[in-house]
Formats: sequence, structure tokens, C-alpha cells
Amino acid sequence: MKARVAIFDFASCEGCELQIVNLEEKLLDLIDIVDVVSFREAMKEHSNDYDIALIEGSIMRPMDEERIKKIRERAKVLIAIGACACLGGVNKLRNEWPVEEVKKEVYGDALLEGNKFFDVFPTKAVDEVVKVDFYIPGCPIDRNEFAKVITAVALGRKPRLPSYPVCVECKKRENICVFELGQFCLGPITRAGCNAICTSFQDGCEGCRGFLDDAKMDAQKDVLRKYGVTVDQMMKKFNFYNYRKGVL
Amino acid sequence: MNCLEKDALGPSQAILVVGMRMKALSKLEWLKFVDRLVNDSGMEIIGVKAKGESFVFDRLKSADELRLDHDVTILPPKKVFLPVTEDLMTYDLKGQVRGERTIDDRKRVLIGVHPYDVIAIEQMDEIYLGSNIDEHYASRRLNTLIIASDIINVSERSFAASLGTHVTDSGYDLLVTDIGDTVVVDVGTKEGRALLKKYGSARDASKKEADTVKCWRSDLPTWFARRAKLPSSEWKRVLDENHDHPIWDENSKKCLTCGTCTTVCPTCYCYDVDDKTDLNLKEGKRQRTWDGCLLREFTLVGSGEIFREGVKERYRHRFYRKGAYLPDRKGFVACVGCGRCAYQCLPDIADPSEVMNSLASYNLHKTVEHPVPSVEHPEIMEDLLIPEPATIVRKQKMTELETLYVVRLDSGKELGHAPGQFVQVSLYGIGEAPISISSAPGGKEFELLVRRIGDVTGAMEKLKEGDKIGVRGPYGRGFDPKEMQGKNMLFISGGCGLAPMRSLIDYTMGHRKDFKDVWILYGCKEPAAILFSKDLKQWADVDNVKVLTTVDKCPDGQCWDGNIGVITTLIPKVAFDPMRTIAVIVGPPVMYKFVIRDLKSRGMPDENIIVSLERRMKCGVGKCGHCQMNGIYCCIEGPVFKYSEVKNIPEAF
Ligand SMILES: Cc1cc2nc3c(=O)[nH]c(=O)nc-3n(C[C@H](O)[C@H](O)[C@H](O)COP(=O)(O)OP(=O)(O)OC[C@H]3O[C@@H](n4cnc5c(N)ncnc54)[C@H](O)[C@@H]3O)c2cc1C
Ligand code: SF4
Ligand code: SF4
Ligand code: FES
Repeated sequence: MKARVAIFDFASCEGCELQIVNLEEKLLDLIDIVDVVSFREAMKEHSNDYDIALIEGSIMRPMDEERIKKIRERAKVLIAIGACACLGGVNKLRNEWPVEEVKKEVYGDALLEGNKFFDVFPTKAVDEVVKVDFYIPGCPIDRNEFAKVITAVALGRKPRLPSYPVCVECKKRENICVFELGQFCLGPITRAGCNAICTSFQDGCEGCRGFLDDAKMDAQKDVLRKYGVTVDQMMKKFNFYNYRKGVL
Repeated sequence: MNCLEKDALGPSQAILVVGMRMKALSKLEWLKFVDRLVNDSGMEIIGVKAKGESFVFDRLKSADELRLDHDVTILPPKKVFLPVTEDLMTYDLKGQVRGERTIDDRKRVLIGVHPYDVIAIEQMDEIYLGSNIDEHYASRRLNTLIIASDIINVSERSFAASLGTHVTDSGYDLLVTDIGDTVVVDVGTKEGRALLKKYGSARDASKKEADTVKCWRSDLPTWFARRAKLPSSEWKRVLDENHDHPIWDENSKKCLTCGTCTTVCPTCYCYDVDDKTDLNLKEGKRQRTWDGCLLREFTLVGSGEIFREGVKERYRHRFYRKGAYLPDRKGFVACVGCGRCAYQCLPDIADPSEVMNSLASYNLHKTVEHPVPSVEHPEIMEDLLIPEPATIVRKQKMTELETLYVVRLDSGKELGHAPGQFVQVSLYGIGEAPISISSAPGGKEFELLVRRIGDVTGAMEKLKEGDKIGVRGPYGRGFDPKEMQGKNMLFISGGCGLAPMRSLIDYTMGHRKDFKDVWILYGCKEPAAILFSKDLKQWADVDNVKVLTTVDKCPDGQCWDGNIGVITTLIPKVAFDPMRTIAVIVGPPVMYKFVIRDLKSRGMPDENIIVSLERRMKCGVGKCGHCQMNGIYCCIEGPVFKYSEVKNIPEAF
């Protein structure tokens, strides 16, 4: 029997879901091996009967929290997709300020009282609320990695993310290190799997796939210092996707 | 006095000899030659091209892309023979599951390889073609002609001259030197000569041209800003003396473990293997890709153990591999001084010349020897990495986690194993796992006892009788029963360790007269985990065979009236003569230290203790590098070792 898959979005730009839609001819393969029963980005129907839930986006409000808990109860396997779901991502930047201040700044004097849609709390990654079985990180996710994880689940393999940094893939692509080009890069501490897409276009890695479990933060900071990066610049870069994960 | 003047003082024999195979082309003729190769030869022409301010080996579209003035390329030319990622085989998951080898036999010419890289390729050849020929590598390598080029611009971090690798007189088909208006060509092989004749119009080089080349080469060392003070023949000694030098700690603290140093190295050859199945789940490819010992999971095994986990150990391993282990195994230092790692390591701690220079000025430290046991490994020529189809004939669940599989090769041939050897079991789309053969040699069927622990072992459990698997092997050095003849045998195993042990025990039972008393000590976590209980009973019934079992604990609901305690609690129960007894130990990694300690305290000599060790293994044939314990390859020199061979190997226990 084919596994039933549902895709849900929370606070996000839906760019990751778009990556799935953009699988093009592979999308047909996907629906050949799984039944997609819910996918707002691509279909009207919706079903609450699914085995695998793919979650895009961060958790921002009590109503999100309730919804994700329900999904967790129903799903056998829950997979977080994209930086917002896996890390909290850029949505976490607003945690730098008190919630009330943020609301005021964004919504001004609009009537927020009692409106559950505006009832926000500090941003959380999905695994800060429910157990996540597998992650497909990235902003947006990499289509090939998405296919790889789904294939693994379908074959009964444990989906594994690389446990080494982006530099490995960057060097394998024979890129000139962006440090040589006067930029700076979080590649040495960021989990590979994106095939070094940014650095291959001479753009320093922003860490959108999250830092490695054993990221060598001190060594990385030494390198940044050596290349003249200021503490302020470092903080900004670290916080962008990995809020408070690279505290100095 | 410059070099030319020096030579003018007297004729040099060397020049005369070299001069006979020296040809020359004008710059224009040289470019024509390269263009004809690109356009008319039908071969793929790979040469050095600019990439931004750097250089790379890449496919040439025309001669004017070729740069002979490059200092060094980002990646070494090994990528042509051992691509960053390559297909080993394709597999088909529909109906009759099967795999088919993919081979790249495209004819190629590689232009612009500097002497240090030529020497690195010769070292690679030693690994991939020396023994256990790797067909994928061989096919690319033997179909490629190498046009080397002398160094014109020296890379700022290269220290090749101090290792003597700035020049070479072998390993190329043609060697070109750009001396301005003329390109001088040194013909290295018949194939090179034929290529030049067919696509170029070269004349004999004049004496002056030959002299200019010779002078250039002899002056070249003065252009190197960096140098290794120690001759490479001294590296091993100095490393052996400095195993505990503070530099390993200091530098590894700065290490990003980014793997750049191993990725860009022309002499690093380790790889990982993975099955990439298409999203349609119908077919896929088994691929290998460069891997490196600096990366954390390089030595990870299914149980979650990582054998070389510390950054210091990983960082240090890289230098020892280059400077001590490969000199021991192959007689060369696996560093050619290209300077790529030095240049590309962001914290700048990867430079072998700097590290060796620091060690050279400081050697008060204790000597650690890393001897490599000498073993004759069998040559495995064909289809090295391609599994043979085999069928699961019978399947029997032994415990909650373990299942016994009886397997037969579809070819009808005997596996032909020795006790203690292993096979690589292949499940297409999932991967491969090394599994010991647990039946005694002989017969068309052999047995595998597999514990469900991860992908391959988990998927195997779902297979039915009659289903197909792939098998490579038998591999490794097994037990040598002949050497044990006439002795008492003391078998000590824990958990799954009884599986490889069983092949030897059954052999012993089948040749009962060749051995004296036999004791079999076996320990398990709990009664429900005991393996081969029928065999244990049968063995106990044989004359002069004593079987003792123990469990760590007996949880409620299971019954057990035997010994409770770890395996070492059984050792005092046997009265063996340590000089006339061979002890064989196989079990989980933690077991060895304690059992060996107790045997030694009973006076057993190291030569009488035999162990079988487990490491991560991807290839099983001495290529992928994962199974290394210091300089030893567990897959080919092991998994069976005499304790005396490995007791001084820091990474063995
Ligand atoms: C010489 C030898 C003999 C062995 N004999 C047996 C046996 O008789 N019965 C048995 O049940 N197990 C045996 N093992 C252990 C067995 O190989 C591992 O349990 C198995 O590889 C796990 O693979 P997996 O895909 O199920 O696990 P996963 O954890 O999914 O594998 C992850 C990856 O690590 C590699 N890997 C994991 N563990 C090991 C390991 N221990 N050794 C080498 N590579 C590993 C695999 O190749 C795979 O790529 C033996 C190991 C060695 C080295
Ligand atoms: S560009 Fe970034 S990812 Fe690439 S090698 Fe340099 S630091 Fe590493
Ligand atoms: S030594 Fe340098 S290149 Fe090698 S892993 Fe460490 S930081 Fe990376
Ligand atoms: S070298 Fe590959 S397993 Fe030993």
C-alpha cells in the first residue's frame, strides 16, 4: 500500500512547497510512490488520514501550536521541511524584541484584542513543540534532497543528512573559497547537503541548513577574526538563520 | 654564473641521454598539436584552464584555453581517474533484482600535469592497481595518456622542491616544458611518441633547447619559498617519536574539521559508497564519492561507535597516514608537496612542511611503533566491487534481533572461505554490510548470522526465502587452523561474536583429532539473547569439549540456572595450560581489554591470543580507507589478528 502524505504550511513563504511543485517530471514519480492527500499549494482536496506529514514553516501562535500537535497525533512520521520549520529560520529574528513591541511595530494601532490570528508568541521551530522524526533543512529546501529523503522513507532506509560541513561539497565542486574573494562564509560550520549552491555562485554561506551538531564554533570565529570580520558582523550573520546559536 | 654557463664547462652525460628523446615544437606548432587533439582525435582532452584567479583541470574546447603557466590547480588531476562522484553500477529493483557494472573506458589525454601530480598519480596507481585491481579506476587510468608539464610558476605554498617532487623522469607519456617561443617535449612512452607523431609536427630538440630545459629544472628549487627541512625518508622516524607532541593538541583546537585538506589532496584516496535510488523506486545507481578521515563519521559503525572520534586523533591521523603508515606499507611518503592543503586550509594548520618542521626541532617524545603485520592477501581481479547474485535458501529467526540466513551463490560455485572471513552483503537500493561467515568451510551453502541494527541489516530481515541478495567476497584474513593444531583451544566470545567463531569451532569439531582439549566460553546480555543454543549443546556433547555460558543479567520472565556475570567471570573456571593453549576472542569492542588482561595474568603469551576486530568497512578490499587502525587495514590484514601483532597499535582496542 502506498504511504499517504500530507503537506502543511505554518509561518513561511511557501517557497519550500514550491520546490516540491517544481520537481516537474519527478513529481509524477512522487505521486506514483505515495498518495498526496493534502497539499494546499497544489490541490483543493484535503484529508486527515495520512501516514507522513511534511511541515513547512515556524510556530508563532497558540493556534499553530494546537494545530501542529493534532498533526503529530495523526502522523506516523513527521518531517520538518525548510529553515523555518527546522530552525525557526528568519522568523526568529523577531525574537530579538518583546512580542508587544513587535506587534505594535507591525500592526500599528489596529484592533488586535481578542483576534487569535494576531495572538503571537516568540517564534519556535517545529521541534520546540512536537517531536520531529526527520529534517529536510534549507532555505528553500533542495529538491534532490527532498527526493532522497522521500525515497529513503519509501525504501525503509533511515534518511540521513550529511554530518559534514558545506566546505566538503564546495571543494568537491572546485570552487574558489569566497574568503579569497573578500567575502565571508559559514560553510565550515553549516551542514552540507545543498551541494554548496551559494558558494558556487560566489556568495558566502548563510547557514540556512543549520549548524552541525559538532560545529567548531571557536575555530570558525578565529577564522572570521583573521579575515577582519567584526563581532557585530559575525552576530548578524550567525543570527540570520540560526538565531542565538552562534552567541559569542 | 648561471646554469647554462656552468654546463658549458663540460659535456654532461645526462643531457646527452635525455637529449635523444627530446623533441621540440614552436609555440604555434604546439597550439596546433593541442587543437588537433581537441578536434580530430575523438578523445576527450582535459587540460589546465583558468577559473577566476585560480586554475582547474577541465575539458578543453580549444588550445588557447590551455594554461601551461599555472602554479597549481584547485583540485588535483586524480579527479580524472577517481572522479569526485562516480557510478560503480546501476541496479534494477523491478522483478529480478540485479546490478550491472558501469565502466568508463573513454579515451582521454590529460595535459598540464605538474611533476608532483604525476608522482601522486603513480602513488594512486600503487593503491588502485598495485593489488586488488580496481576496475573502475583501471579503466579510466589505462585509457588516458598524460602530457605532463614542467613547473613554470611556483605556487606560493608548494614545498615540492624539498621533497624532490618538482621534477620527475617517469609516469608521463610526454613531458612538455614551455621555454618561451618553443615547447620542448620529453617523450616518455611509445604511446606518447605515437600521439606526437600523429597529431603534431615536432623536430628533434637542439642541444641548446635541451640545455635550457635542464637548467630550468636545476634552477627551479630556488623559486620555492617553502621547504620541508626533513628529507621525506626521515618523516616516519620523527612522527614515531612525536606521537604525543603538543602540536597535535594545539593545531586540532583550531581545526574546523572541514575536510578541505583531504579533499584537495592528490594522494588521498578514501571514498564512501551510497545507493542512490530514483524517486520512482524502480532503478538506481551505486555510487562512490570522495571521503576523508578528518570527517567525524568516517569511522562510525552501526552500533553508533566512532573509532576515531576526537579532532586531535583525526587531525593527527592525516599526518601519520602520509608520513608513517604509507611509507611502512608502500615505501613512499604520501605527500608530494603541492601545497594545496596549506593554501586552502582557512586556519592554516594543514601544511605538512610546517608541521614536520616543528616536529623536527623537537623530539623528546616517546616512540610509538606502528608495525604492519605481513600477510599475503589473495588477489581479487575481476568485478572487484560488483556483487555476485545469491539466494537466501533458508532463514531462521534466532532471537529478537538476530536471524540466521543460509545462502547459496546463483553461479552454483562454492564460496571457498576460510573460517573467520567475511562477505559484503549487498541489498540494492539500501547498501552493503560486512558480515562474517558463520559456517565451517565447504559446501555450496554458507551461513550468515545477522543482527538487525540499521539499514541493510533491517532490510535483510524483511527478505523471504528465495529472495536475492548480492555477495562479494570472501574477504579478509581468517583464522589459520593449521597453526593451532595440536593445541588446546579456548574460545571466548560475547554476543554476536559467536557468529565468526562458530565457523572455527565447527572446523575444530570436524577435525577433532587435530586439537586437544576445547573450552567454549560464551557470554550474552540475557538468556533470550543467546545464539546458537543448539550448537552449544551439541558441542558440549563432544569428548573433551567443555561449554560454559553466562549472562549479564536475567530479567523477570526469563529463566536461567547458569552463571550470571560478565564473560570474565568464566575464565577462572577453566584450568588451561597457558603455553599449550590458543585463546580466540571475538566480541563487542569493550570485551577485549578485560579478557586479554585476565588471560595474560594467567601467563598466556601474546602469540597465543587471537582476536577478530570490527571496523567500519565500505570496500572490504583495502581501498576505501574506512577500516584503518593506525596503519593497518582491518579488512585485508584482518579482521583476525594475533594479539602480538596489534597490541601496540593504539587504535586497535
Ligand atoms: C568484519 C566484520 C564482520 C561482521 N560480521 C557481522 C556478523 O556476522 N553479523 C552481524 O550482524 N554483523 C556483523 N558485522 C557488523 C555489521 O557489518 C554492521 O552491523 C552493519 O554494517 C550495519 O549496517 P546497517 O546498514 O544495517 O547499519 P547502518 O547503521 O544503517 O549503517 C550505516 C553505515 O555504516 C556502515 N557500518 C555500520 N556499522 C558497521 C560496522 N560494524 N562495520 C562496518 N561498517 C559499518 C555501513 O556500511 C553503512 O554504510 C560485521 C562487521 C565487520 C566489520
Ligand atoms: S567558500 Fe565557504 S563553504 Fe566553500 S570552502 Fe570557503 S568557507 Fe568552505
Ligand atoms: S586541517 Fe584545515 S583543511 Fe584540514 S580539516 Fe582542519 S581546518 Fe579543514
Ligand atoms: S579499506 Fe575499505 S574496508 Fe578496508
